Amino acid sequence: MTFQEYTSSVHNFEECMKCTICTAYCPVVPVNPDYPGPKQAGPDGERLRLSDPLFFNRALKYCLNCKRCEVVCPSGVKVGDLIQEARLRFDNSKPKLRDRILASTDFMGSMARPFAPIVNAVTGMGIAKAVMDGVLAVDKHRTFPKYSSSSFEKWLRKQESKQGSYPRQVAYFHGCYVEYNNPQQGKDLVKVLNALGVGVQLLEGEKCCGVAAISNRLEKQACKNAQANLEAIGKAVAQGLTVVNLSSSCTFAIRDEYPSILKLDNSAVKDSVVLATRYIWQLLESGTVELRFKKDLKPLRVVYHTPCHLQKLGWSMFSKELLKLIPNIELIPLEQNCCGIAGTYGFKKENYETSMAIGEKLFEQIRKANPDIVATDCETCRWQIEMGTGYPVRHPVSLFADALEDPLA
Amino acid sequence: MRFDTIIIGGGLAGLTAGIRLQEEGRRTAIVSSGQSALHFFSGSFESLKDCPEAEELFDRAGVRLHNLPGSRRLLPGGAFREAVLSLGDVSLLPGEGPIGKKALIVSFNGYHDFFPELLAGALEKDGTPSIQGIVEMEELAALRKSPTEMRSVNIARVLDKCPDKFVQKVKELLADGVDTVILPQVFGLDGDEVPRAISEGLAPLKVIFVGTLPPSVPGIRTQNMLRRRYERLGGTFIIGDSVVSGAVHEGIVSSVASHNLDTYRLFADNFILCSGSFFSKGLHSSPTAIEEPVFGLDVEFPEDRSLWYEADFFEPQPYMGIGVKADKDLHPSIGGEKVTNLYVAGAILGASKDGKYGTGAGKAIKSALAAANKILSL
Amino acid sequence: MNEFDVIVIGGGITGAGTARDCALRGLKVLLVERFDMSTGATGRNHGLLHSGARYAVTDRESAAECIAENKILRKIAPHCIDPTGGLFLTLPDDDLNYQGTFVEACKGAGIDAEIIDPREALAMEPSANREMIGAVKVPDASVDPFRLCASNLLDAKLHGATILLYTEVTGFIMEGSRVLGVKTLNHKTGEEGSYYAKITVNAAGIWGMSVMEKAGITVGMFPSKGALLIFAHRVNRMVLNRCRKPANADILVPGGTVSIIGTTSTRVPLEECNNPQVTPDEVNLLIGEGVKLSPTLAETRILRAFAGVRPLVSSDNDPSGRSISRGAVCLDHASRDGMEGLVTITGGKLTTYRLMAEMATDMVCRKLGMHVRCQTAWTPLPGAEGHSFKETADTIWRTPANKPEEPDIYGDALVCECENISVGELEAAIKHLGAGSLVDLRRRTRMGMGTCQGELCGCRAARILAREGLGDKALSDLRSFMAERWKGIYPIAWGDALREAEYTQWVYKHVLGI
Repeated sequence: MTFQEYTSSVHNFEECMKCTICTAYCPVVPVNPDYPGPKQAGPDGERLRLSDPLFFNRALKYCLNCKRCEVVCPSGVKVGDLIQEARLRFDNSKPKLRDRILASTDFMGSMARPFAPIVNAVTGMGIAKAVMDGVLAVDKHRTFPKYSSSSFEKWLRKQESKQGSYPRQVAYFHGCYVEYNNPQQGKDLVKVLNALGVGVQLLEGEKCCGVAAISNRLEKQACKNAQANLEAIGKAVAQGLTVVNLSSSCTFAIRDEYPSILKLDNSAVKDSVVLATRYIWQLLESGTVELRFKKDLKPLRVVYHTPCHLQKLGWSMFSKELLKLIPNIELIPLEQNCCGIAGTYGFKKENYETSMAIGEKLFEQIRKANPDIVATDCETCRWQIEMGTGYPVRHPVSLFADALEDPLA
Repeated sequence: MRFDTIIIGGGLAGLTAGIRLQEEGRRTAIVSSGQSALHFFSGSFESLKDCPEAEELFDRAGVRLHNLPGSRRLLPGGAFREAVLSLGDVSLLPGEGPIGKKALIVSFNGYHDFFPELLAGALEKDGTPSIQGIVEMEELAALRKSPTEMRSVNIARVLDKCPDKFVQKVKELLADGVDTVILPQVFGLDGDEVPRAISEGLAPLKVIFVGTLPPSVPGIRTQNMLRRRYERLGGTFIIGDSVVSGAVHEGIVSSVASHNLDTYRLFADNFILCSGSFFSKGLHSSPTAIEEPVFGLDVEFPEDRSLWYEADFFEPQPYMGIGVKADKDLHPSIGGEKVTNLYVAGAILGASKDGKYGTGAGKAIKSALAAANKILSL
Repeated sequence: MNEFDVIVIGGGITGAGTARDCALRGLKVLLVERFDMSTGATGRNHGLLHSGARYAVTDRESAAECIAENKILRKIAPHCIDPTGGLFLTLPDDDLNYQGTFVEACKGAGIDAEIIDPREALAMEPSANREMIGAVKVPDASVDPFRLCASNLLDAKLHGATILLYTEVTGFIMEGSRVLGVKTLNHKTGEEGSYYAKITVNAAGIWGMSVMEKAGITVGMFPSKGALLIFAHRVNRMVLNRCRKPANADILVPGGTVSIIGTTSTRVPLEECNNPQVTPDEVNLLIGEGVKLSPTLAETRILRAFAGVRPLVSSDNDPSGRSISRGAVCLDHASRDGMEGLVTITGGKLTTYRLMAEMATDMVCRKLGMHVRCQTAWTPLPGAEGHSFKETADTIWRTPANKPEEPDIYGDALVCECENISVGELEAAIKHLGAGSLVDLRRRTRMGMGTCQGELCGCRAARILAREGLGDKALSDLRSFMAERWKGIYPIAWGDALREAEYTQWVYKHVLGI
């Protein structure tokens, strides 16, 4: 044994220096006094919980899982992961029916789609909202995202041979949102990638990434989905494919939360799973492809919001750099603030006020900037910003797709 | 991605260098692993009496600095120190004599990061009697609900919204003969307008702001204002990522790799390393060695680890003086070979021995400006 | 006012236990302690409640005492004890044949020792070395010595005893060959005092040697230094031991939020007892041996190093003191040295403190011609169920289990965030346990014993003391508290400990200006 090997802690929470910076940046602390704050909930609490599980505090459920604490921590402590893990390990209460429903994004989607117009109408109706509010504790101010009656997967399958004809290929983890709620966003990505000479393939047996299941303490479900996804991704990677995704939260879950919270080994595929924006940027940077934008693009004033999980991934520069390439665009990056929705968190009745109060700082910046459109990479941020400000919100790739010359033209 | 200069570390040194370079039209990026030591900033740039270049640069970022030769400042433990270049809301006091006829020290119920009793004892010795007052506001009550969140930053968030009400509450606490009000630095997270408004609101009483346990409100404000200025100048500020290694060939750094960007590398013509000292992980210590973890730069340290520290906590600690070896142009070396497009600045250089009381904020500014100016002169 | 039945010298666990036993038997008791409670070996050990297994092979008598006391303390002081259980691991370096001898000896001493499958042991204790080739389960436990000592003193006080802390015995009041009492000096006020009693009990641990010299009596002691390391979190669930003859660094005890590895055994000069130092070699040895028990220790942050001095009674020329009996010694100086009115109780262990107190009190009673039965084997301590003071004790020693449901918005505010110590607990310790300084508060509440080692809580608590009227001393008290914390940190000042130390320097010297 050389003594030098024995120097630093692998127990990440022990690297906490008690500097309390995390608390200063936690979006929940200023608006919800019942939340113990990230330092106490995370590294301090972990030490206490290891000494006596009774130290577990149910109020940890108020954590948004935005990971801002991790981004600002000068010691690299995974404060957010510690909190989510503690909830999985120590909270023995059964997740509520409401939480199960909210977490089951793919189940809900596949059930709802055949009846999309009806479901959309019903979930939008006053009575149904009152029932959800009263019985399920889904806040009545929330409208469920609309379900699309067409499937992205079916659409892409139909053009398998066309996609196969491109010289480069990627696999696309399209996620529940594109599949059930917004197939158009997936089509936008396909348009951009095709324009770059890249064909898009589906993953075999893709499931919901599980991020909602994790935050609703449905560990088994999350692990099941994660294992299926790792298998599907593994097959694509074995064929030499990069796996791209548009949603920062799905990408973050697959890359970082699978190993850190679900304890699943993703090391074989991790580096091959990237956000589409990064993939596109790297392709453009390689100088092997060229882009043609529409000639008559009108001036567009865009504010860009960095979703918390993208901030954590550290890749927002790719989205911003891509947007800057669009001719006639005026890009205003917003100061990073949490929008407050955090996936299913903001849908819960007990969190509604907290959620909107957290978002207010961001909403105000947007109102002040008065843009034509808001760009962001996360679908739940999108719902929250649309609800909080009334401004239209789109994915940077969709804006990019709009600006590209029509391939047939 | 390619930049003119990549700066590793987004604290005082990194931001100062970044702003300087961006102001001259250079394309730069700052990679910062988390927030910096500015969050524990006392508000005073130790060892720096004046520095017109920095004062102007900070002024353009909206950060007002001041100093008065021969003046003193009051620290939270009750000690007086000679004033140095400081933020606007660090109160400069006359060099000698009592600070007032009678002082009112204001705090809040349930707030334990400010120490009126310690201040009162010290002021008494200095010839200023004092009384203590508690400001109660319903807006603050919610903070007390959590046993850990009655902190300076959270109080500032509340009081920044209602400074007038706070002033009114302080006035209600005044007693006969009070000419001085001592307040904790819990004002102005977004700018120093609030502390200024409070000083004005309480005039003609003299208002003295005194620091608190970290996180420091003036420090966070300074960090954010400098970062905003840097971003507005077009700088790319990447937070929450750590540079893990650099490609060095024949004394030239070509690119760096980071934790989040894994295989994607960042390229630049010049690099500035201001990743801080031990706390910020700019230096790494094991039982047998002290190393610079990104490039493996040469560090001078005694082999016997018992020479790293003094047994008396209050003596200057030798480890704080340990840093990366650099030449007069701030170039470090690897195995004795100079790295010609890399500069080191800030706490990674080690605190200077003469700055016995200094956190090295002055040194951070000076070395950062020197590195930036050197790059600009090339 | 100044007359007592018995004077006890020493506020460690032995003195506290003796004072309590005497008070419970109706004696009028004075306890004098030159510093604070638990400043000597009581506060400087593993916090291990021995099952006796460690001594079963080498020191059968101690082993039997340990298991009997272990069972008693679980009943009378459950608030001080964490019934973790313990494992004796046979590692590849150790002789597996020893296991049989060991288990036999345990059984002979009445210790419930059970050989279990190494895989089962690993399931019970995941941090244990996977390479173990044998495991024996024993009823070891962990004990909070600070709380145990305070509980004894508190109960003594509740039964009429007078406790004088920071009061040093400067000499004996003697008449011929009889001790009539003690002369004292109060270190806080500078006041001198004289106190009289029929019997004086020396329970001053290793310092008893110099105390007795003041009466012209020589007690041959063997100051045996033991060094220990505290790890920053609770690494193991159960006490881990090596199944071999007792040696260095072969016990890892989980206590509260931390784990402690120890010890060493080195004879030190008496002068060093006041301030035992841990050397770099000892640190290296403790880590090197510790990782054999639990490999994860190699990757765990170290909080501090400390050492205590065992008050062993010399017997032969054993240079390390490992083979000296850990059994208790009670000396009647009338029969031994011809000095009436003086008794020494020493040797022994934390685990057997109650028995030692009983032995000493029995001797006191015998000398006073009293026949009162000892009650401490079944009478609960304050903080345990069934004691009238339990509710108040719960305000000093809060746990998640005894915490009141109703929140107390001012009292619940945390001062020490690492160890979860609130304003209310500190106030209760000041009020009920006579804490007058930060170090006192630390010994009574664990404040400042966590990850940041007083960096956040030191100044906060100083202010709370100042609020209680300790104004002017608050600053110097804070300085000595931080200095005392640093003494345990610098022997292990690298990695995260050095990072924390640097941060603490910034905060105290540059931000707070202390």
